[in-house]
Amino acid sequence: MSENNKETPVNERRSVERERVKPWPAPKLNITARLGLVKFIPDEKSHLSVIDPYVCRTRCPQKFCTHTCPAQVYRWEDEEKLISIAFEGCLECGTCRSGGCPWENIEMSYPRGGFGVQYRLG
Amino acid sequence: MNPAARETAARATPSRFDAIIVGGGPAGLAAAITIAEAGLKVAVIERGDWPGSKNVMGGLIYSHPTSQIVPDFWKEAPLERHVVRRDMWMTTADSTLKASYETTDFALEPYNSFTVFRSRFDKWLAEQARARGAYIINETLVEDLLLESGKVIGVRTGRPGGDLEGNVVILAEGVNRFLTEKAGLGAKIRPATVALAVKEVLSLPKDRIEDRFNLEDGTGAALEIVGDVTGGLPGTGFIYTNRDTISIGVGVILKGLVDKVGESYELLERFKRQPQVKRLIDGAKPREYAAHLIPEGGYRDMPQLYGDGVLVAGDAAGMVNAVFTEGANLALLSGRAAGETVIRAGKTGNFSAHTLSWYGERLEKSLVIKDLKQFEDAAPFLSSHAHMFNLYPEVASAAMKELLTVDSLSKADKTRLIMRLFRSQVPTRRLVRDAYDAWRAIL
Repeated sequence: MSENNKETPVNERRSVERERVKPWPAPKLNITARLGLVKFIPDEKSHLSVIDPYVCRTRCPQKFCTHTCPAQVYRWEDEEKLISIAFEGCLECGTCRSGGCPWENIEMSYPRGGFGVQYRLG
Repeated sequence: MNPAARETAARATPSRFDAIIVGGGPAGLAAAITIAEAGLKVAVIERGDWPGSKNVMGGLIYSHPTSQIVPDFWKEAPLERHVVRRDMWMTTADSTLKASYETTDFALEPYNSFTVFRSRFDKWLAEQARARGAYIINETLVEDLLLESGKVIGVRTGRPGGDLEGNVVILAEGVNRFLTEKAGLGAKIRPATVALAVKEVLSLPKDRIEDRFNLEDGTGAALEIVGDVTGGLPGTGFIYTNRDTISIGVGVILKGLVDKVGESYELLERFKRQPQVKRLIDGAKPREYAAHLIPEGGYRDMPQLYGDGVLVAGDAAGMVNAVFTEGANLALLSGRAAGETVIRAGKTGNFSAHTLSWYGERLEKSLVIKDLKQFEDAAPFLSSHAHMFNLYPEVASAAMKELLTVDSLSKADKTRLIMRLFRSQVPTRRLVRDAYDAWRAIL
């Protein structure tokens, strides 16, 4: 804001500053404690899969799914160069199939009847 | 389980029904109750251990539509608190501007709205359906629709020999509309018009909740919070008071989250750290964590509502009013309309798309489609005007702070400073544009 303002007395010149937008918080939350509150009945077979791991490796430096999934089901394994899937802790929200993976490289179905997340409150 | 329900459960499940309903949420159960009351044979197929066990609430249950399904439901349903106050907060990282409406009228029977837990409420609603003769088939996933020359004639479930046939299949499968997509009635929902909501239920003693939220015994408050709490993404935070817990969550348009490469689970932590929010939940212990999608595309993103032998209701049909955070009420009303359509078609013995189109007509005349049409531009508006979620709360907060801080500046000088800030942050052209777009989108 300009300092040469005639309406305000010189000794009172200052500006009202718009509050700064704070950056995204730095500490990464451990999701394990939070998922520990939820009851899961895990199936043996995964209801989630990466369609083409090559896409994750070559086209997706951001690894979007590791950020968008609210249960941190997807994790980038740097040694193996692939996405690992902890499907047992999936909240079945559908984010990964609805744009959470912008490459549409994740196949999601629901777990078999009677398996998966079981909300006691919801 | 009451005696009548036990008796129904003991009956062998037939394999042919007047209607098969996929999904035991408000839409599916309202349809089931309507159809069962007419004496027709109806099955609800639920993939969870019980109806509600996969469901998450991010809003309120309203008396009027719910009473149309189960009269006087509020006398026996598992409800948390009746809501007497609705608050709207506009926040920055450290300040809040609040608008609040409260009336003692909302504390009178039959009340206006309630906070609920869906795992309990939907389970209760399913018991009402069962008591009226509906078959509730739990722990069963519908994998596909059975087709005969293009007409839906039943469902294939994950159980061995689990094919069920019905005159009409009602898809009340929720926001992830796998079967609606498979039937070619609608496309997958788009990241620009779907919100991801993450939520926590926190334990806090009843009297502390009533003290902190300034509530009388049994009454509740619902808070809608915009601004810094979503990290500047288009979306809102919410806080609902339950009996001895607080539901706190944040929902953001998925596209915004992806574009910013944001962490969805961090959003909630950020929300809980805002000082005025933090004070409300201080010392409360986490009980449950949940995540769910909300279809906010409104009228424009709705699938075809009917086909040969098939109807779509509730979230699967995109029936959410994102502006007023209503969804369960629209689900109940659409479920009832679907049920009435099945009864009406049953009298003619014809279940073609043409006969079932009565469902669409009925919804067009009801508030369901009227409201969805009115707000059809709301979701695209919010997506394309993401700056509003940061800009206006910050400018408003800075203005209030300047006005209320007593120092050596005269009020006239303060007003000038505020106007200058406003003009520098919000060019007139942008303000006029935003106001015009908002007016167009919402009215």
